[in-house]
Amino acid sequence: MTASQMTFMIVLSVSLFAASTQLSSAQGGLPADQRINGKRVWAAFEQHREILQRSSAVIYTDERARVKSLYGTVVSEQGHILTKASEIEGKSHLSVRIGSELYTEVDLLEVDEEWDVALLKVSVEQPLTPVELSSGDDVSQGHWVVSNGSTTRTQRRVRLGVVSAEIRKISATKSHVVLGVEFEKGKEAQWKVAGVSEDKGAQKAGIQVGDIIISADGVKLSEREDLIEVLKKKEPGDKVAIELTRDKKKLRLDVELSAREESMTRNDQMSGGEDQLSARRSEFPRVIDHDTPLTKVSVGGPLLNLDGVCIGMNIARASRVATFAIPARELREMIASMIE
Amino acid sequence: MHQRCYLPLRYLCLQLWRISRCQFTVIGCVLVVSSLCAGAFTVNQQEVPKNKADLVAIQDALVGSLEACRKATVSIRIGEGFGSGVIVSPEGLILTAAHVTAEVNEEMTVILNDGSEHKAISMGLHSESDAAMMRLIDEGEYPYVNINKNNDYRLGHWVFALGHAGGFDLERGAVVRLGRIVMENDSTLHTDCKVIGGDSGGPLFDMGGELIGIHSRVSASLEQNMHVPMREYLKHWDALKGNEFLGDGPFAERPDKGSGFLGFASTDTEDGLLIGEMLEDGPAANAGIETGDIILELEGEELTDKKHFQSMLKEKTRGEEVELLIMRNGEQKKMTVKLGER
Repeated sequence: MTASQMTFMIVLSVSLFAASTQLSSAQGGLPADQRINGKRVWAAFEQHREILQRSSAVIYTDERARVKSLYGTVVSEQGHILTKASEIEGKSHLSVRIGSELYTEVDLLEVDEEWDVALLKVSVEQPLTPVELSSGDDVSQGHWVVSNGSTTRTQRRVRLGVVSAEIRKISATKSHVVLGVEFEKGKEAQWKVAGVSEDKGAQKAGIQVGDIIISADGVKLSEREDLIEVLKKKEPGDKVAIELTRDKKKLRLDVELSAREESMTRNDQMSGGEDQLSARRSEFPRVIDHDTPLTKVSVGGPLLNLDGVCIGMNIARASRVATFAIPARELREMIASMIE
Repeated sequence: MHQRCYLPLRYLCLQLWRISRCQFTVIGCVLVVSSLCAGAFTVNQQEVPKNKADLVAIQDALVGSLEACRKATVSIRIGEGFGSGVIVSPEGLILTAAHVTAEVNEEMTVILNDGSEHKAISMGLHSESDAAMMRLIDEGEYPYVNINKNNDYRLGHWVFALGHAGGFDLERGAVVRLGRIVMENDSTLHTDCKVIGGDSGGPLFDMGGELIGIHSRVSASLEQNMHVPMREYLKHWDALKGNEFLGDGPFAERPDKGSGFLGFASTDTEDGLLIGEMLEDGPAANAGIETGDIILELEGEELTDKKHFQSMLKEKTRGEEVELLIMRNGEQKKMTVKLGER
């Protein structure tokens, strides 16, 4: 951790204190129901709430259908629903509520690993109301977006945000395996080994502080992402061929990879950590990035624009400031290939 | 510059029918733009947006202001850490947070929204309110935003935050978040615009795209995001521009007196202080001072002896610049040395 990050951490704890003292004397604050996600602001979005009531499915994974696990997006009259695959993986009791109707016979038809999307099917007697999927251009930065925030057994509720950044690819932020080395800070010497972890593959293979790593499995390293790309395809116990220079001599070493010991970054902790964030929140080909404060159990539902048109499907809670959604264009392609 | 005035102006003209109590002439309209940006946004006069037209008005104002505001929002790299800032003059004056710059007169790297990297230097800071200033070193025409100098941002007003959340990302650029002012006092604005590490020092805008605050800190609650209001910067403007370190924490630690050093050995002579052995790559060596130079004056004050020199230096801190008058080969020369850390 760098000095400047530490400073911010100290600042954070100072502010927690300051915030609590201010709250106690905060009679002058804006009433909760007038804040951006307050009830009186939601009232202007009643039309959107009605759409969510019909087309946002509540998904339960417990036997008694009591605890909401996440949402789903109704995409056909016949009972097809899209949701986030990794959140229902391995669950034996799936049930779905649409409107106030509970469906207990749910089939998992297909999973798209790339997008982390599962296609569910419920048996319906009356046709469902699917979302109206946008066929227009991508939504622009600064536009309102409406998601399903909380729910009761009978009522869906809206939650508001705006599109906060350009639509883009979300790359893997880190690999699941590590060499066991720490590199120098800064761009100039970014492949120079600054530290070697105890008892990890790099140390056992003989990598030393000061070595400069040139390539991994024959891939020449330039950007930080290059090494992540190589390691992404590996499992703990696999070996990677490392080429390096030491005292102007070239060496080639085989390094056995170890599993990364998960640590939450400070920004992850500021975002509520594992309780709030989706376990899978990176590696999406293209996402809408919006600031709606959802949690890992409120993704999967539709993302609506001001006109009530579905412009995406929420797929991950990524941080305190970001929720990701799959854009309508890709949803349409997915639906076309999954539902014949 | 025309662009910046034009967008809110056009917005106001479209919205004129909503403002019932004001009379407008063309001149009046221009005045309103420059003096009432936060107040003139009509949705701000309602407790909550009532209908779709109000929601569209918020969206139009945000989208209209966004591009110019994003261009002026910068990422600041300090070691491996990141903060944000915002350019407020075409010459490249930047406002940010004191806990981002942390020190006066330090060089750091600024990344513009287009990914270009520029050298910058930190100026004054206010360690109690978290206000700080810096400037880009290279001359240029930089994209910038206007500061709301009217102090007319109020509880309940709609606002938006920009910043390079989590650090710089070229494909993503500066991230926008919409919210309202949910609490305010003299030195802090609270909003429900969610901010996170990397946003520190980034800008908070009114719906006309004028700067009203700088992101400072958060609590665990998503509705507790704290910003330093522009009035704090305006109050201390000259001191910030004059590279002063104001206040005693908690957002920046004042460097200790006597923590600066020059990096040479010296002996008293009849002519002045003779410089002996020099620290290779030390502050004095880097400033061009050489063994054999004789120091005559420090900060314009004639030196009596080495003790005098040392006692004057004790009052200085690391990072401070000192002016020396030296004698080399019979010629007098003024040299500026930035004190290193002891």
